[in-house]
Amino acid sequence: MPFNIDFSKVLQLFTYQEGDPLLFSTSFFIFFFFTLLLFYRLFAYKKNLRIFTLIIFSLFFYYKAAGEYFLILVVMTVANYYAGQILGNLKEGTGKRRFIFVLTLVVNLGLLGYFKYTNFFIRIINDISSGHIDALDIFLPIGISFYTFKGLSYVIDIYMRTFQPVKSFRDFSLYMFFFADLLIGPIDRAADMLPQIQSDINVPKENIGRGTYLIMSGLFKKIVIADFIGLNFVDRIFGDPTRYTGVENLLASYAYTLQLYCDFSGYTDMAIGVALLLGFNIMDNFNAPFKATSITDFWRRWHISLSSWLLDYLFAPLQMKLRNLRIYGNAIALFITFVAIGFWHGSNWTFIFFGFLHGLYMTASIFLKKPKTKIYNKLKLTNTKILKFSQGVITFHLVVFSFIFFRAFSIQSGWDVVNQIFSFFKGVVFMQFVDAYPMIIILMVIGYVLHFLPEKLEKWTENFVVRMPIVIQALLLTAMILLVIQFKFAGLQPNIYFKF
Amino acid sequence: MISEKFKKTILNELNLDDFDIQDDTTADQVPGWDSLNHINVILAVEKAFDVHFKGIEVLKCKNIGELQKLVNTKLDQK
Repeated sequence: MPFNIDFSKVLQLFTYQEGDPLLFSTSFFIFFFFTLLLFYRLFAYKKNLRIFTLIIFSLFFYYKAAGEYFLILVVMTVANYYAGQILGNLKEGTGKRRFIFVLTLVVNLGLLGYFKYTNFFIRIINDISSGHIDALDIFLPIGISFYTFKGLSYVIDIYMRTFQPVKSFRDFSLYMFFFADLLIGPIDRAADMLPQIQSDINVPKENIGRGTYLIMSGLFKKIVIADFIGLNFVDRIFGDPTRYTGVENLLASYAYTLQLYCDFSGYTDMAIGVALLLGFNIMDNFNAPFKATSITDFWRRWHISLSSWLLDYLFAPLQMKLRNLRIYGNAIALFITFVAIGFWHGSNWTFIFFGFLHGLYMTASIFLKKPKTKIYNKLKLTNTKILKFSQGVITFHLVVFSFIFFRAFSIQSGWDVVNQIFSFFKGVVFMQFVDAYPMIIILMVIGYVLHFLPEKLEKWTENFVVRMPIVIQALLLTAMILLVIQFKFAGLQPNIYFKF
Repeated sequence: MISEKFKKTILNELNLDDFDIQDDTTADQVPGWDSLNHINVILAVEKAFDVHFKGIEVLKCKNIGELQKLVNTKLDQK
């Protein structure tokens, strides 16, 4: 029997399909990635060819995610490259230099604002003036929040003269386009990435092992844990919280907290793993965030590349400006930074409220620091295990509370979840729930236990995999892919962070 | 070169008895000098040397040596 190849389907593989990006966890990605690796190794000692292969693959990857809007990325890259060149050449303190800098900020933030926030502001204007301005049909190019920040950090660093503009447009393009961190970060910095792009390729066996380990761990977190509990549990409860008891709402809040972490850090693990196989060390984004003993500590462990970006480029200048207000200046700067973190996530009041809550937590912690230290000293609790444990439990619940609003469709719907927990708890439902959904409970326990395991044990496991022969690593990866396929029956869920 | 007065101002502000501060020491290596306390250190230095920094001048400093240089430049301009 002759093969009947449906060429239209083959073509679909290479063209933009709405809502169907090349996720790291799809078989198409794996196919394309291995083809890329092949050429990449082939061109290992031909720098130009190697870098162009990566640039072309990255552009294809982004075209598959955003269609013709991949041009936005190209425009931003060209604009930021030339802005960097001009800012690097102009003399410090001149009006022209300041003008070019402000113009670049306006272009970057203007594009981000237009694509992401226009309809949000139209809704606000309509609400205030009872007007009827029609919402615009605006496509949100995936990853725009991430690569805008990458471009901005490059330009700001050059303006501050803490970084020299890169000469090669080719190298800068790869920094901006690099597919591994393009869609949902980590938001890498030029100072870390450009030297790696410019140096010769070096992929020691250890990196291959670590990369494989991270891809496996990412697949497990994303597909087995996050997608499964999201689709089979969290979505139902958050879809209509008032139909469920408090105990179910509470479990859904814990489940969503785990889902968000596994979804986002799982994809980040895969991104870091994929980059390692190509010889790049990209930034870490998570460090066991639920082990945090304060909200400040939490933000040092959660979405590190975003929080450190805003710390450097928003908080620090604001803090410096307001320094004569001392502690109040710190509080105002922190509050603004966290509301900005919320707003960065999307054009919805729920995200702003999420940022507002964290702003509140952080400012409260500044003012409570001294009295708290006094009380702990008086009660001889300082540095005790019991204090650390209690702080951990409280911090975790403050985070869960904020994530309820992060997930809810509206602030009201978020309060519905909270109300159900406090006024309609019905603890007895718990056992029925365990009977009805044993898999959800098992996955939640596995997810949280793995998270709270000592760091040493995780390192040991990683090193154990790293030391294995490559053949065994490949077999392990295949086994993980097979496990993941078992869990994928419900269909692949796009990453939560793609929306941002 | 880190001057004795400059070092003392920083250590006083952070309630440290002693800490080895070199030109290439960064703020996060000094105990207690975190992103919130940063402002108190800067204000203390400004007060001790009776100088005023522009925000951007401080943001540009990559290490404590550069902050010392900034103080020296300001003192020379007086």
